[in-house]
Amino acid sequence: MDQIYLPKNRIGLVTGSFVLIKPLEQEIQQKSQTKKLHFYKIQSIEPLKLQVINEIIKIIDKKIKNDNIIFIGSFLEEGFNFNDVDILIITNQKYSIEPIKKELEEKQKIKIHLIQINNKTLLDGLSKDPLYPMMLSKCVAKKRFIFKIRKEIDYKILDLHLLKSKLLIDNFNTLDGNEKYYLTRNMIAIFLCLDKQKISQEIIDKEIKIIFNLKRIEEIKKNMLNKNSFLTKYKKIYNETQRKIFRGIKNDSKQKQID
Amino acid sequence: MTQNRNKLIELFIGNVSNLIVHKILESAINQLELIIKYQKESVNSLKIAKKYGEKINPVNTPLQERDINYIREKIIKRAKAELEKRISLGYENIDLNLIEKEVDKILKEAKISD
Repeated sequence: MDQIYLPKNRIGLVTGSFVLIKPLEQEIQQKSQTKKLHFYKIQSIEPLKLQVINEIIKIIDKKIKNDNIIFIGSFLEEGFNFNDVDILIITNQKYSIEPIKKELEEKQKIKIHLIQINNKTLLDGLSKDPLYPMMLSKCVAKKRFIFKIRKEIDYKILDLHLLKSKLLIDNFNTLDGNEKYYLTRNMIAIFLCLDKQKISQEIIDKEIKIIFNLKRIEEIKKNMLNKNSFLTKYKKIYNETQRKIFRGIKNDSKQKQID
Repeated sequence: MTQNRNKLIELFIGNVSNLIVHKILESAINQLELIIKYQKESVNSLKIAKKYGEKINPVNTPLQERDINYIREKIIKRAKAELEKRISLGYENIDLNLIEKEVDKILKEAKISD
């Protein structure tokens, strides 16, 4: 067994104190890695993940001329319970990303999801699609970014996204906790967007807790919901959201005819 | 058909119709570049439909023609109703002719039909 000796006469550390032991070198290395990256709404991240992020950036930079590389999604959540690493590559050129994805997966031994997007589409998405601001509300980026956007509502995009959340109504017993959380989060993002409210993962989680009367968001993720009460509220919000979207589509097409 | 099997078939029908509506709306919206980013997530519907498909039609137990027709017709009817609702709202470019082709493709993928 490894042992660490501490001097008997020391200031501050009384016998029985809990301590955290970590190598000094790793701490210094982590700080130098952290300096290069930009963190949005991320309090802390495991050193191993930072290493992965840096290695991925290095490989992508070699293959793709990009304006930024942004890491999003479950990989950034605490712990190692993520499905894959979602990466947005902001580039105005078109690349075949499949071989790069393959190379990254072989080297990192984790599932990679690469999304190639140009600046114009990204800005379009941020102004019209509530899932974009939600996606970027918590991320790690190679370069600092600030987006100035004018919010517009595209009811047809919202209609399409809302359809996904219909799955939960029919398949409550089949879906796992994470799938239920994803579908609920999707619906609430659309619900807030229609009210022209600000959207971020934190705001959505807070709203979910209020609407569904949950103490912790893990109640959904760990599949600990009361089916009847959850579904009743879920259906109500779903129908209300769909009604608003349909009204919007109708008004938009009337407006189009007038124009 | 047992009651449990009937329920599974209804769930399968619901999922596949939703998936078809989603696919056809996707091709009707001229914001495909924007939507394509989430393709990974919309796969869920197909995954769940396949799960039901496996339960309805276990390997080596062929589904009767009568059952296949029932499922196919019901999916077409549901998807059509959803899409027609949207056409009446003012949606353009919705191609109802795509429904049958998409249904047949998914039924094959879910191993409901040959």
